[in-house]
Amino acid sequence: MADSMLKLNNITMQFGGVIAVDDFSIVVKQNEIVAIIGPNGAGKTTAFNCVTGIYPPTSGQVFFENRLIVSNYPNKKMKALYAGGNKNFPKEKVCLTPDKITRLGMARTFQNIRLFKSQTVFENVLIATHLHQKCNLFSAVFRLNHQQEQAARKHAMDMLEVVGLLEVKDELATSLPYGQQRRLEIARALATKPKMLLLDEPAAGMNPQETAELAQFIRQIKERFRLTVLLIEHHMDLVMSISDRIYVLDFGRLIAHGTPEQVQDDPKVIAAYLGEDEE
Amino acid sequence: MKVFKIILSLLLAIIACLLIFFSINALDLSALLKEIVPLETMQQDAGLEKAVKRINDCLADGNQNRALRSLNRLLDDYPDKVHLDVQTKLDLFFYRNNKVMLTLGVYVLFFSAALAVSAFLKQQKHQTAVLVAILVASLYAGIYIVEDLVGVNSMLMTVLKKGAIYALLAVSMNLLNGFTGLFSLGQAGFMLVGAYTYAIFTIENTSRAQVYQYYQGGLVQFTLPTLVAILLAGLAAAFFAFLIGLPVLRLKSDYLAIATLGFAEIIRAVLQYDGLGRITNGSNLLRKFTTFNTALFPFAVSGICIALIALLIHSTYGRSFKAIRDDEVAAEAMGINLFVYKQLAFVISSFFAGIGGALLAMYQTTVQAAAFTSAMTYEILLIVVIGGMGSISGSILASFLFIASSEWWLRFLDNVTYIGTFKVPFFRSGFRMVVFSVIIMVVVLFYRKGIMGDKEFGLKSLMEPRKGGKRRG
Repeated sequence: MADSMLKLNNITMQFGGVIAVDDFSIVVKQNEIVAIIGPNGAGKTTAFNCVTGIYPPTSGQVFFENRLIVSNYPNKKMKALYAGGNKNFPKEKVCLTPDKITRLGMARTFQNIRLFKSQTVFENVLIATHLHQKCNLFSAVFRLNHQQEQAARKHAMDMLEVVGLLEVKDELATSLPYGQQRRLEIARALATKPKMLLLDEPAAGMNPQETAELAQFIRQIKERFRLTVLLIEHHMDLVMSISDRIYVLDFGRLIAHGTPEQVQDDPKVIAAYLGEDEE
Repeated sequence: MKVFKIILSLLLAIIACLLIFFSINALDLSALLKEIVPLETMQQDAGLEKAVKRINDCLADGNQNRALRSLNRLLDDYPDKVHLDVQTKLDLFFYRNNKVMLTLGVYVLFFSAALAVSAFLKQQKHQTAVLVAILVASLYAGIYIVEDLVGVNSMLMTVLKKGAIYALLAVSMNLLNGFTGLFSLGQAGFMLVGAYTYAIFTIENTSRAQVYQYYQGGLVQFTLPTLVAILLAGLAAAFFAFLIGLPVLRLKSDYLAIATLGFAEIIRAVLQYDGLGRITNGSNLLRKFTTFNTALFPFAVSGICIALIALLIHSTYGRSFKAIRDDEVAAEAMGINLFVYKQLAFVISSFFAGIGGALLAMYQTTVQAAAFTSAMTYEILLIVVIGGMGSISGSILASFLFIASSEWWLRFLDNVTYIGTFKVPFFRSGFRMVVFSVIIMVVVLFYRKGIMGDKEFGLKSLMEPRKGGKRRG
């Protein structure tokens, strides 16, 4: 347990009558690349959003570096439904906001790219360095934090260099081609100096060659920054080539997990992706 | 280039010294008068003697302007009796333009010093700083000289004064609406808090009984220095913003606008409440507080405030504000605490709105809560939109244009005008606002993002391309 980076305990997320994620538990160890896969609408992004604090799960807990960051349990009528006869049903509620979770060292990217539209590429990354600038309003206004500011700028430049966007640093973020926008999102996440990186469909909309490059790139940054990576992906090539372990979700439920080879051969997974035989 | 700059600065320094020398050594008026009106001619004419005596009396009272006016009249009335040769004419010119020459001299001296310094600076950054210093000095010297030439109460100076105040108000609103993306309509409310706080604490103690005649002379019985009161006005507005922000900033876009608008209306009603009369004077005017006369004062205060806002926007805090505007979810994922930063932007914006309100009170010389309607907020919002959401220089430019056209350039439309015997149709009271509305519509149609968009009119256009130039009013 000591090297567990992220742990989800029985996460359930219910939107009205729809159960998007149902009793989902995973463990991600340090320095691993773990993927969550599943058909469209399987609840992958919902699980991500619960982990990063965008909304609290209906029930369940999330631990980050063995620290409880999200914990929620239903009350009243819902409680009877969830707890059943369990008298030890936990009650504690913890719900850190996304900014606090990022401060702990978990950075993410978004499925539908969310860049700061009116800013340049460089400014986008610079904003993310804000996290590590410890200065009050006064010193920021009167530029007493000059050294910190210089360091932040340098750090942002380094990150741009890592993702190979240094040449376009003064262009408007939204004017970049799609693949570069994805890279910029990763650069921005890296600029918060995370211990863990959550990538939400990083290869969406990329062609096979770009996907192969991305796989190479993810492995590279993982080594360089000693990251733990959790990713959601549709592209099987990418997932199979870089993941250490894979969790498969279908209709919110965990249907299989294991190494890429194990998952590939699992009949349940094949059924979920290709549909079951009628007979 | 370096040698050229140094030679130029030396030349300018000599000119400056000459200017200062002449203005300091200008003869004073009583001595000048003895030159212009010789003793024997004066004794021959009783009227002339009386006129000279009047001028001397004015001088004894220390009323220079009146003395000058009397002198002009004397020169007009007795053109053949006065003794005017080149020497006295020159002396008279020096005397009349004493202030302008002194200002010009100091300014040119400053300019030459800046030029000399810039000749030795190698770094681009320092060069820019020198350029900014020169531009700012030009601005203030220019205002001082123009004010002396056209008179404090002329239309030009009125427009400049009001324009400077509105520039601050517009920039403070832009900080919230344009840079942080919070659509707030509470500006008039915060201005009102600022204006009242300022007015209440600077009414002369001797006038309090008169101002608060219906409320036993009021509760506050001390007078604060002007600058302290202005700062207090800002702090009071910021405090209100802090309290209101706690619940209200959890709302989004339109709802936030409605809630802040509601606050502005409530505060206006509360300040007119009879029960608070001993402090706020009920629904009566507050007057006889310290005001300003010269346009330099609002320019100085707005200039400093706008510079502070510009510095803030270009700091790491400003970047976070812009991130929130562009994408709240992503901003939060970058570790920016949404609530804290929204609250911060709201409080800072209101602080400067409060200061702007205090300046507006000084400009109006009286202040009454009933005047701070939501129409005032819309006026400022209009300036912000016309200037460009997210552009400081746009707001400044737009506020001067707005005030100039609404107060001055379009005035003629309100007057019934005849060309020969032909009565120009539509020209009557109120037509100005119709034309004004049409102009605004045209501007919005053709400059959809405002005059400046979200760009800044920077030093970029004056020097080689580089970022970070800020302009002020």
